[in-house]
Amino acid sequence: MEWSIGNSGPRHQATFSDNDGKLKLSKLVSEGNEISFSEISVSKDEQSGRVLVELDGVTDFAHIIRSGDQWWIHFQGRIYVVNMHEPGSKDTSLSEGSLSAPMPGTILDVLVKTGQRVRQGQTLMIMEAMKMEHRIQAPKAGEVTAVHFQTGERVDMGENLVEIGE
Amino acid sequence: MFPDWMNSAPKPFDSVLVANRGEIAVRVLRAAKESGLRGIAVYSNPDKDSLHVEIADQSVHLPGDTLSETYLNMELIISAAKESGAQAIHPGYGFLSERADFARAVKEADLVWIGPSAEAIETMGDKISARRRMIESGVPIIPGEELAIEYGTNPLGVLASSAARVGYPLLVKASAGGGGKGMRAVHEPKMLRTEYEAAAREASAAFGDGTVYVERLLTGARHVEIQILCDQHGNSIHLNERDCSLQRRHQKVIEEAPSPAVTPEIRDAMGLAAIKAAEAVNYEGAGTVEFLLTSKGEFFFLEMNTRLQVEHPVTELITGIDLVQKLFEVAAGLSLGVSQQDIRITGHAIEARIYAEDVSKGFLPAIGKLAMWRPPSTPGVRMDSGFREGDDVTVDFDPMLAKLIVHAPTRSAALRRLDSALSEFIVLGVTTNVGFLREVSRSPAFSNGLVTTDFLDNISLDEFLEPQIDDSILISISAASNRLGVGRHSLNKNSDNLIDEYSGHSGDPFKILTRSFP
Repeated sequence: MEWSIGNSGPRHQATFSDNDGKLKLSKLVSEGNEISFSEISVSKDEQSGRVLVELDGVTDFAHIIRSGDQWWIHFQGRIYVVNMHEPGSKDTSLSEGSLSAPMPGTILDVLVKTGQRVRQGQTLMIMEAMKMEHRIQAPKAGEVTAVHFQTGERVDMGENLVEIGE
Repeated sequence: MFPDWMNSAPKPFDSVLVANRGEIAVRVLRAAKESGLRGIAVYSNPDKDSLHVEIADQSVHLPGDTLSETYLNMELIISAAKESGAQAIHPGYGFLSERADFARAVKEADLVWIGPSAEAIETMGDKISARRRMIESGVPIIPGEELAIEYGTNPLGVLASSAARVGYPLLVKASAGGGGKGMRAVHEPKMLRTEYEAAAREASAAFGDGTVYVERLLTGARHVEIQILCDQHGNSIHLNERDCSLQRRHQKVIEEAPSPAVTPEIRDAMGLAAIKAAEAVNYEGAGTVEFLLTSKGEFFFLEMNTRLQVEHPVTELITGIDLVQKLFEVAAGLSLGVSQQDIRITGHAIEARIYAEDVSKGFLPAIGKLAMWRPPSTPGVRMDSGFREGDDVTVDFDPMLAKLIVHAPTRSAALRRLDSALSEFIVLGVTTNVGFLREVSRSPAFSNGLVTTDFLDNISLDEFLEPQIDDSILISISAASNRLGVGRHSLNKNSDNLIDEYSGHSGDPFKILTRSFP
């Protein structure tokens, strides 16, 4: 399996040495290059959804659960998400420059037209989700190359709303 | 069978229907059970397996798809009460809690209404009449005026001249708004149109009313509110203040009591003003009078919430008074049983609202399954929630998952307790604001008690970024867990039907039982 953190973080492959159920990280490869890592081993705990993490000689619990292709971790008082990928698979995230609906909802207003130049942070659409208004803003300056929805239309989560080119 | 404590009540009741859902329905239903009352829940389709239904003695289904067909459907809820033999109705907060016509309809149906009179709700629910009543009663108010905008006409002329009289910066508010919906700040004349249109749209989407009110925006002020409690015999007391200055776009984020900015003198004056406000409408039950407190110690009436507030637990913790139990007693016609002299402040309480939202994406509501949900359970920590492990967080309702409330002898001890409780809160599967709440509560401004209502809106959110951890650690934990076969089974309703992917067996008792075997 390959592992990444965040929206478009690099893919990693981890190799462990197995010492009686205690997995010690022995190699970490990021996009073909071996990288340095912390001294860490992970072993199973009696309680389900929990592992023992030995990090630089100190042992802590981590709570962990898989939800789809995401692994959710609670470790040292913080919550993290790690993405799991089939080796060699393509990223499913949308191409840069397209804006997807962050939630299911309704388009309240479309403020731009195809061909219009927009500046970074400019509001492109206003949508309503969970009874609150959300402004869909341009992540970068550029030209609007497509507007996929009109005022009043319902959108599902992840649908492409607007596309911005150079 | 009436519970013992109701023996001498003029209007006793033995059962209460809670016309709400989520954490507040759970809170009120648990209080009913504790008081020996039969608790009846109502629920719409998405709530059929929700916690409030599970803990109720009885529950009534509300058919329909939208809120107005279900939780906002007065006739249906009253007939649910009749059908289930409920003798009283508690509205919770939100939904029908501030609908005068509902209060009236409940009483006309010969049911006990656990709340203030329809007249009190009406007067305080309309910002114009509330303001007028406060002027008459000598309660200080903020400069502002109402806008009579006919539907379909161009509002800009009227709006601009009114705005010029009131002065910038200002707030445009829908008269029927609340909870930050239908309310927008306007800092300069050229933004007036955009913000007005947004306010009007939000208000009609959320409340079905487009009337707008223009009011001076007091910057650098605190939001301090007084909890009041009144019975039907003319006794009114206040239960001190709550400071709700930490807000984002007028939505409260963290509330605390007592306020770090309130001196005993301000508390007495504000408490007195709040009681005046309540008495001006012959208030009955628990209510909240909200004020803006300036750095000079002046305060102005904002509005009165004629219901139980989301943040009521902080007051319960510092005063030791169970507000929901008191609401039952007052509705039954009993007298308060406590006087102003009995009300003390014990320690310090802080409430953090846990939301399913992605702070890094502009606080966008998040959805998903609560694959792991382990709230902290340590002394001095209370959690009010309508969610359990395995529950789905959907777009159907408000994204508030829980309220985490801590109580400690001092403010600094309460802050430490909050930080530790937030760090121990294991909520996996849905993105939440837990990490953000930790960072905000640890910020110098909040920990020194210096936050004003504009704090979060005027600061870069980069100030509250969580500390980073080496990617190799997280990747190791995930990759190793994957190899060890840990974390694959989430607890859900069908867990006993799952086939173990290694053994091929279904219903392995060691997998089903949540206790571990040494």
